[in-house]
Amino acid sequence: MASGILLQALPETTIGWMFFLAKKYSSMFLQGTGITLYIAIVGTILGFILGYVVGIVQDMKINKEDNIIKKIFGNILKEICIVYVEVFRDTPMIVQAMIIYYGMNQSGLSIDPVPAGILVTLLNTGAYMAETVRAGIKSIDIGQREGALAMGMSPMKTMFHIILPQAFKNIIPEMANTFLTNLKMTSVLNVILVQELFMAAKTAGGTYYKYFESYLVIAVIYFVLCFVFNRLFLFIEKRMAGKNDYVLAVEYMENQ
Amino acid sequence: MAEKIISIEGLSKSFGDHEVLRKIDISVQKGEVICIVGSSGSGKSTLLRCINRLERQTNGKIFYHGKEIRDVQREINEYRSKVGMVFQSFNLFNNMTVLENCMCGTRKVLHLSKEEAFDRAISHLKKVGMAPYINAKPSQLSGGQKQRVAIARALCMNPEVLLFDEPTSALDPEMVGDVLNVMKELAQTGLTMIIVTHEMAFARDVSTRTIFMDKGYVAEDAAPSELFTNPKNPRTREFLSRYLAG
Repeated sequence: MASGILLQALPETTIGWMFFLAKKYSSMFLQGTGITLYIAIVGTILGFILGYVVGIVQDMKINKEDNIIKKIFGNILKEICIVYVEVFRDTPMIVQAMIIYYGMNQSGLSIDPVPAGILVTLLNTGAYMAETVRAGIKSIDIGQREGALAMGMSPMKTMFHIILPQAFKNIIPEMANTFLTNLKMTSVLNVILVQELFMAAKTAGGTYYKYFESYLVIAVIYFVLCFVFNRLFLFIEKRMAGKNDYVLAVEYMENQ
Repeated sequence: MAEKIISIEGLSKSFGDHEVLRKIDISVQKGEVICIVGSSGSGKSTLLRCINRLERQTNGKIFYHGKEIRDVQREINEYRSKVGMVFQSFNLFNNMTVLENCMCGTRKVLHLSKEEAFDRAISHLKKVGMAPYINAKPSQLSGGQKQRVAIARALCMNPEVLLFDEPTSALDPEMVGDVLNVMKELAQTGLTMIIVTHEMAFARDVSTRTIFMDKGYVAEDAAPSELFTNPKNPRTREFLSRYLAG
């Protein structure tokens, strides 16, 4: 009799199973969504900062006339950046995750899965972002830089007040892209035991041996998250583009 | 004898094997309006860019008030804030409005107060007839308007010398007049100017001294009345005849 009730309670269709699993493991899926978002957002923001720093260093020009300290220090910094970008772009994120997590724990620097996940995401993002920032800087007409230098602005101020604001605007779509990629790439972090969405689906699907339905549930969650963020970024991009018209300052019209 | 502001001694510049400037010696006195003319590729613009240190010379020295301009970034920045430059392609900052463009240098380089920078910007924008457009972005202006804003922006720095690199070459003929008029007025105020231009009539009427450059040399350096009516150098004659005929 008891088993009869149990059988009756179980859904028969795929959709039915999806709802059943989503409801039964709602707290696990919710927690997974939270961790996925947390790692993606924190990792991406820190990665962007790192990417800007590396991108700016790579764009830095070292002249023959510069003093010896600047030359040596600058060149070492540039070399480090080149190696870093190369290594992280040429290896898979899933492998980086394993190496960083197990490597750190093995060498006594104990690290929890979530911070390790953020570290992997930020290092990965930084490497790609550096290239994006470099391209963004290169896309700005040389005249903008010369205009600023010619009025006595230092190269550093020129970068921060003139070049970067324009480059930033140009690379917003690419930054949005990177964030969406990260949101989805957090799924590989289950290999280092991060309790994110993929891990939740794996666990939920295992109990009833309903993997197909379980993964469909998280596919929907990933889709909704990305969809919402995508709209948000499009909105920001539109806002950043600014208005198409301007107000004439009539108080300065000559015939007044 | 007027005060010597800039003097250039034995200035040479090569790009790889290509020698663009060869042993240029020029000195600029206070209040002079110098027009540099010559065919394309003669090194006019490169000379101007060397004076502002946007290009580094291969050989030779540039002195500002008798002091050599060395390769020290801080000294270069300070020198540039006194030797302004107006470009052929305007180079207004696209991320800023007209007003912000004109306040940028005074705020970030000269560190003036907001009110002072604003007053300066408005007064110079009025001079070039662009004050009503303070809220516009550069992309919303015509070429002639952009160039007038660029001139106002340079004036806001209170430069001792203003360099013009073919300021009207990117403008259509109707707008050239507006910009030249602004420059003419500036010349009358006694501002020291060095102007690279293809506007021969302007050079003849406004400059106090005209330099003809050919193949990286200063071929002739004389008063415009001399250079335009009685050129000494055969190359000058050839160049002028082609221009004045056309």
